[in-house]
Amino acid sequence: MATNKGIARNRKLLLLGSGGLSIGQAGEFDYSGTQAIKAIVEEGFEVLLVNPNIATVQTNPIPGVKVFLYPLTSLWVEKVIDQERPEFIVGSFGGQTALNCLIELEDQGILARYRVKNLGTSVNTLKMTEDRQKFAEQMLLLDIPIPPSVACSTTQEACLAATKISYPVIVRCAYALGGLGSGFADNEKELIDLVNQGLSCSPQVLVEKSLKGWKEVEYEVMRDRDDNSITICNMENFDPLGVHTGDSIVVTPSQSLTDDEYQKLRNASLKIVQELKIIGECNAQYALCPETSEYYIIEVNARLSRSSALASKASGYPIAYIAAKVILGSSLVALKNPVTGITSAFYEPALDYVTVKIPRWDLNKFKSVSKSLGSTMKSVGEVMGIGRNFPEALQKAVRMVNEDSTGLGKSLDFFDKDKETLEETLENPTDNRLFYILQALRLGYSVEFINKVSSVDKWFLSQLERIVVNENQIKDFSRKASVQKDIFSFLSSIPQDDLKSWKKVGFSDNQIINLLLEGRSDDFLKNQSRFELEKALRQTRKSRAITPVVKKIDTTSSEYPSPSNYLYLTYDGDFHDHLERDNKRSILILGGGAYRIGASVEFDWCAVACSEQIQASGFKSIIINCNPETVSTDYNSSSSLFFEELTVERILDIAEFEGTKEVVVSMGGQLPNKLAGSLHSYDFNLLGHSFSTIDMAEDRNKFSSLLDKIKIDQPRWAKISSPEALNHFIEEVGFPVLLRPSYVLSGAAMKVAYNKESLDRYLDFVTDLSKDYPVVVSQFISGARELDLDGIAKDGEVVFTIVSEHVENAGIHSGDATTVVPAQRLYVETVRKIKRAARQIARGLKLNGPFNIQFLAKDNQIKVIECNARAARSFPFVSKVCRINLAKASAEVFLGRLPLSLRHTEDELQYVGVKAAMFSFSRLKGADPVVGVEMASTGEVGCIAESFEGAMLLAMEASRVKLPEKGILISAGDEKSKIKFLDIIDDILAFHVPIYATKGTSLFLEERGVKTISLPWPGEGNGNVIDYIKNGGIDFVINIPKSSDLKELTRGSQIRKTSVEFGCSLITNVEKAVACIKSFSQKGPFRLNHKIKNLPGFLDNHHGNFYES
Amino acid sequence: MKKQSVTLELSSGKKLVGSLLGAPVKSSGELVFTTAMVGYTEALSDPSYFGQILVFAYPLIGNYGLPSPPKNRDLLERQFESQAVHASGVIISQACYDVFHWTSGTTLDTWLKSKGVPGIVGLDTRYLVTQIRDHGGLFAKILPSDAVGERSLGDFNTVTHEDFFDPNQHPVVTEVSTKERKVYGKGKYKIAVYDFGVKWNILRSLLDKGFEIEVLPWQTDPSDVDCSAWILSNGPGNPNQTFDTKDRIRKLMEQNKPILGICLGHQLLSLAAGAKVVHMSYGHRSHNQPVFVVGKKKAYITSQNHSFKIEEGSLPEDWNVWFRNVNDNSIEGIQHQSLPFKSIQFHPESSGGPRDTAWIFDEFLDGVKKHGNE
Repeated sequence: MATNKGIARNRKLLLLGSGGLSIGQAGEFDYSGTQAIKAIVEEGFEVLLVNPNIATVQTNPIPGVKVFLYPLTSLWVEKVIDQERPEFIVGSFGGQTALNCLIELEDQGILARYRVKNLGTSVNTLKMTEDRQKFAEQMLLLDIPIPPSVACSTTQEACLAATKISYPVIVRCAYALGGLGSGFADNEKELIDLVNQGLSCSPQVLVEKSLKGWKEVEYEVMRDRDDNSITICNMENFDPLGVHTGDSIVVTPSQSLTDDEYQKLRNASLKIVQELKIIGECNAQYALCPETSEYYIIEVNARLSRSSALASKASGYPIAYIAAKVILGSSLVALKNPVTGITSAFYEPALDYVTVKIPRWDLNKFKSVSKSLGSTMKSVGEVMGIGRNFPEALQKAVRMVNEDSTGLGKSLDFFDKDKETLEETLENPTDNRLFYILQALRLGYSVEFINKVSSVDKWFLSQLERIVVNENQIKDFSRKASVQKDIFSFLSSIPQDDLKSWKKVGFSDNQIINLLLEGRSDDFLKNQSRFELEKALRQTRKSRAITPVVKKIDTTSSEYPSPSNYLYLTYDGDFHDHLERDNKRSILILGGGAYRIGASVEFDWCAVACSEQIQASGFKSIIINCNPETVSTDYNSSSSLFFEELTVERILDIAEFEGTKEVVVSMGGQLPNKLAGSLHSYDFNLLGHSFSTIDMAEDRNKFSSLLDKIKIDQPRWAKISSPEALNHFIEEVGFPVLLRPSYVLSGAAMKVAYNKESLDRYLDFVTDLSKDYPVVVSQFISGARELDLDGIAKDGEVVFTIVSEHVENAGIHSGDATTVVPAQRLYVETVRKIKRAARQIARGLKLNGPFNIQFLAKDNQIKVIECNARAARSFPFVSKVCRINLAKASAEVFLGRLPLSLRHTEDELQYVGVKAAMFSFSRLKGADPVVGVEMASTGEVGCIAESFEGAMLLAMEASRVKLPEKGILISAGDEKSKIKFLDIIDDILAFHVPIYATKGTSLFLEERGVKTISLPWPGEGNGNVIDYIKNGGIDFVINIPKSSDLKELTRGSQIRKTSVEFGCSLITNVEKAVACIKSFSQKGPFRLNHKIKNLPGFLDNHHGNFYES
Repeated sequence: MKKQSVTLELSSGKKLVGSLLGAPVKSSGELVFTTAMVGYTEALSDPSYFGQILVFAYPLIGNYGLPSPPKNRDLLERQFESQAVHASGVIISQACYDVFHWTSGTTLDTWLKSKGVPGIVGLDTRYLVTQIRDHGGLFAKILPSDAVGERSLGDFNTVTHEDFFDPNQHPVVTEVSTKERKVYGKGKYKIAVYDFGVKWNILRSLLDKGFEIEVLPWQTDPSDVDCSAWILSNGPGNPNQTFDTKDRIRKLMEQNKPILGICLGHQLLSLAAGAKVVHMSYGHRSHNQPVFVVGKKKAYITSQNHSFKIEEGSLPEDWNVWFRNVNDNSIEGIQHQSLPFKSIQFHPESSGGPRDTAWIFDEFLDGVKKHGNE
């Protein structure tokens, strides 16, 4: 245990985290938890953090903090309480999960039994804000208008209520994250569907008046024990009410509200927190009528939320940090805002810029998912653009959210809709509505018209119109300009004011080039290389002094001088803010951008650790990132933070301003890694791996020839540009094969073809297989184990490696797989081979920094799948299990030093770590919840225990796979996988619940003496498997898809979708099912005997100094 | 849409060029900034800005337009704080030239034009805020490239804009105060309001509570007034440049009726009480000024607009400090130890800005009733 002097004896505080990332509850709670921990430790408490999300910054075992990687259920939290005996508990920093857990602990009398005092808002108040009926009653008492609504616990009640209120109505679900089970109903049929679904996951639903078309406005509010209350900032949604705020484009501060409207809603917010006696942070959401200024309160969240994370970054006010202090009893008046260092925490930030948040949806990753946006949140991440005008901030955000986009300036080529369809597109929000609005403006539709159909405020639309006007100006210039002797004279003939105005409204150089190209019918520009064009434009701008200025975010609009290091760039300004300079070596660290499927909080962990290590070494770390849900964008995670685009243009601007060309690209995932080439061509000094190393690892051909040269086996592959060549390849290697298009095509992702039939299906989908659109095909080895090797190399020599093993056989994306450290089932010889291969690859690629290699192992033979010359997703997991901070050790390599204290091996580990994926299928209506070669999970959890089964059990429970209590359904897939169930059938019987099986599985088991209840397939009569799931007779579903059979894929998909919709635990992979069931069968004794164990600290001395261990 | 270019000349010697907003006339004044993000209509119609050029730190101003201007002063239209635009000029980063909001009938540009007030758009307002802050106060001239006249300063028209007009050197209250006594509403108690440039929302706040009010010109002799209580209103300029107002306030204090001073009224009451009032380096102008009640743990966010403050330690012994600023600890309110005299530096009537201290009116009016019944 840490023995800091500051920690008072027995002053233990249990903090509840938010668990694995899922849609509606993502990285924002790493930000809030991490800030809270800093504040609580400062106040002299020892923090006991319960959170199984091993990839987060908050689960770093630092002095003053004990980390418990356990499921956030009352059962496990009680065990932690029993062992640690904390005095206090805080549940407002871990989202809905923590809040639900806190309520459970209170309701079960656990808090009372152990005399644990809940700090912050009382459980009764929390329950009231969650119970919509009670909430409505309370609001009426306070004279705060609420939309007419009725709480219903049956379908009949709901129908009656809807008739009374009159359609359209909105159905909301109590106690749910991100609006799960909510939606609009225009008629009784739609209503019944929604209510049935809602009631399946909540005892109560609310039928409310629909306020479609009203403005949606939010306030972030803070109150202390002395009743001092402030609003931190307000936010106006670009999308009118109807789209979940997590899926809305959100602007801070409000743009279209008058002082009267602003103050009216602000007053209501203060009244609410004062009357409800909320302590700490609270979020209030309002509907505001655009025609009368009437308003309704929609929702109150008496806790930190996604919105508060956004508000924190948008305003520069560290909401979570201050909220934690206030919860511990500090007065807002006595606290200082640590971002500014000068103003009181009792101060409402004055902004002198505008921020625009855009959600990141990864809907293309999910086959057949509905793209329409409504009251259930679907986005997986978000970005925030900052500018001194709306178009600038918006265009930045558009580039941030999708790095392939250059801004709003390029026309969508898929846009050729007739008027009716167009109106429908504008009216019914989807993930692309913003682009459709832009296109409508381009086609000459008026602001009034678009406002009429979309209800988006005219002010916002008029600002979008400015973008279109400037776009036309660029094209016009290009069209009319005479051919000059060279590109420089051409660009120099752009009028100064015009070029300035284009940059002011947020056009990137790239985008301007696109439009110049578009405007020209001759080949004058087309003859130039893209790189030369961009370089020339940049040079032209600089020679004409059209460059962005650096401004601070300081909460005071510069009313007081502030040492704030929170910065952004704008073209809508003429002077840089004054910044203190020193002569320290400065290093740029590129963050990971928007959270997305495949790149999430784990890369933020890497960037933060790297920054800390660079600072600890006495250098200046400069983080560039644009994701408000992160710890890396906190005011104290770096020496200096640029909340900016991760584009070459912007990185160059920052590098020129800071006078450094040293940059780290390998700690933020694939996004910054992909920038390596361009940065290299602009003469950046890439710290760690050289560009040729990164390039050789990324380029399939180059990497492949390296493997051939050093005689390391790999699955056979080929780049194919005709069906004939494909057939030829398959003839040689045989089925199954893995196919992936080498270009971006929405929906057509990686696929495995098991036979001719599934290959044809794929080819039908990829209609134009050709030289321009080739496909990479590779041999798919079934029945193989998959292994991950994470490591660090210095100058081509491996200095550290750790091997983790997938529970699932190869074929499941490593992000979705369950992985275990140390590997449990490998031959010593296999491990030896893997490590040898890693050493050879490191030498061959001249690796110099963090890396990750994926292997297949079968029959003691290994094959290399790929090598990433950067930190991998698994870094925080393996770092914490091995107690070596690989991100900090990587930073040492970046600084040219050899990290020394890495002589630890997995054999010495006293425990086993298991990492499991978190899925969010319940929010993605229509998506087939099945795992495969494309990653589908939104987060992960990692737990440790003395045995694999123990860690597996904890990881399963932490990823919300629950023990069967009502009934288990087995649909066991093909013969091979059916056989595997024989191993665990005794375990399943020991659950003492009814065992249901689909026909084939039932027959198979019966022949082997196991009795199950056979259920018909979906669509095969009454009492089929779907009915059982819907009626709640089944709560645990194992459905192994027979990968080749289309009919079964569809029937299976129906089972899987229904399971998810009705809240069943669902497993779709046979090896995972076996491991899960085996671990569950030990549950009884494991629970009884398991001694709660906190995550041990890193083996370095906590200051990141690897030289003194 | 090419706009006339306008130069902003600062007393520090710097010159910045932007485009014209409002009327193409020359102007000059004290350069001040507000960090409020909403409430530009309320601010620009606030008489306290007389002689000042107002820089909006928030870059996007005019988004929700403004209602068609009031025709009749007595209507006390919402959103407006007087019938005129009193500021000498306006500096903003980006304007809005269309009308979108349902309450809106005109644009900022049109309104300023109709009132003969010049403005500049397209300047780096954050930079200007920093300049004002670092210089501890600045003066400025607005010089349109094709100026067609000068911004009227009323009685001070003898001042040409060749020099920087400094409102703090002149008794500017005389320009904005009502010329005649006016009675509004009907009620058991009449509140007399000394108009040093009163904001309409002070009047509305009293009328809404059912009180009768009489608005008085600044030089009214208190012995000519029959009332239950006094309000000393807000207003522009330097409290030390108000002729014999201090003496008149001393005279009305002798009546022992409740007094509430607001902003300039607070400074004048302080002067009458014997305190010293001094110029601050750049004042408080925003919707987010935190003040706390001295001796208590309670604090409020207030709307403020002032350049002067009570000098620390100059307050006579029979007065207490009531409020202080949380950030700089300056005196924000005072009260007499035994008599019903109170005043605050901030604006409990808000408009624009937070309404957190509206209870001060309630408390004052309760006091008026109690006092009247004694």
